Amino acid sequence: MVEARGLVREYGAVVAVDGVDLTLGEGEFLTVFGPNGAGKSSLLGMLGGALRPTRGTVAVRGRPLDFGDVAWRRSIGMVSHRGFLYPQLTAEENLRFYGRLFGLPDLDELIPERLARVGLADRARFAVHKLSHGMRQRLALARALLHDPELVLLDEPYTGLDPAAAAVLRQVLEELGDRRRTVVMVTHNLTEGLALATRVAIQIRGRLAWQSVAADVDRAGFEHRYHEVVEGWP
Amino acid sequence: MRQVGVIVWKDLLLELRTRERFAAMGSFAVLAGVLFNFSIDASLVRPQDVAAGLIWMTIVFDGLLGLGRTFHLEGEDGAFQGVLMSPAPKDAIFLGKAISNFVLLYAVALLVLGVFMLFFGLEIGSSPLALLLALGLGVLGFVALATLFAAVSSGTRMGETMLPILVFPLLVPMVIYGAGATGRLLAGRPVAEVAGNLRVLAAFALVALAAGAGLFRFVVED
Repeated sequence: MVEARGLVREYGAVVAVDGVDLTLGEGEFLTVFGPNGAGKSSLLGMLGGALRPTRGTVAVRGRPLDFGDVAWRRSIGMVSHRGFLYPQLTAEENLRFYGRLFGLPDLDELIPERLARVGLADRARFAVHKLSHGMRQRLALARALLHDPELVLLDEPYTGLDPAAAAVLRQVLEELGDRRRTVVMVTHNLTEGLALATRVAIQIRGRLAWQSVAADVDRAGFEHRYHEVVEGWP
Repeated sequence: MRQVGVIVWKDLLLELRTRERFAAMGSFAVLAGVLFNFSIDASLVRPQDVAAGLIWMTIVFDGLLGLGRTFHLEGEDGAFQGVLMSPAPKDAIFLGKAISNFVLLYAVALLVLGVFMLFFGLEIGSSPLALLLALGLGVLGFVALATLFAAVSSGTRMGETMLPILVFPLLVPMVIYGAGATGRLLAGRPVAEVAGNLRVLAAFALVALAAGAGLFRFVVED
């Protein structure tokens, strides 16, 4: 489904991502942990086509990432630190805008359904700047999933969410797994990060320093491994 | 073309909600007209003789005031990155933003014209449609350049301060031929006398739009 080979991203003299190789199958859920500045967001940006790799390649279903290939972008949905939303527009208008950009049909039915799925049916006509952080995060999720992407990229989606909002997010992510969508999530939240993952990885100083099948590690074992890897990395 | 329309719809809806740019540009247009009115000694120079140049310089300064903020609202929640990650081609995004900027600046240009007609005692002339066409073509070329360079300057630390430095040198043809056509039409000269000016303004607008559409992706891709 997703194949990255020798991914490198440099910002001047700083190497944010340093030679990452990654292969993800359909329905896999990879959670990437790592300390701040490990290059996790840059890795996600390159997988999503938001950042051009300095070197290396990314392919989705065998199609190499091509910045000019607009069809390729239909297969990707991303939730970033920021919501990619227009604060002055309503929740409904934001989704309508993105839905029309993606050329989606039947938006009059689709938008209420997606808002209901993230628990915002009664906030459709609220301007985004009047929504709480948790609501905006849920709306960002609805925006990212509006076009039913095959590859979903999540950058710290649980940050600042209250328990109710986190539960909605967890439920939506479970549904993605049921529908065989491939997910890559970057997070510091061990509980949520391990809950749905089929694979886990630790990124440090741009490299994927450790990877494992999620079923092979429990929380305590992973925590021990995380400290071992992060503190022992040269 | 559908995605161009979507961008225009969103930009105009945002402007309608905030009225952020139109309020600033409209106020500037009125204030500039008032100040220019007081700055000219009517016993030495006839206001009609200098009005066309002042109209165009007001449009240019007013345009830079508003168009410099083209990408301001896009950056508030990273929304523009969401647009760039959508399947909308970059040239369609550029054209959408240029068209919405055109609607905004053309409305302001009409206001500038009205303000100067009021304060300078100008008459519309015998060819109002040609006058509107000259304004429209000049504004179109201007917004094409300003939209492209607003994208460039939004990615720099200097931001909006950079925009006039980047754009002014490229506006020389637009100001020369726009002011030339406007002055003659306001003076009641026949349209045939400004046909050449209108052709240059149209060519300038087309080249600026084509260049902007072609270069935009190099500006916005990271």
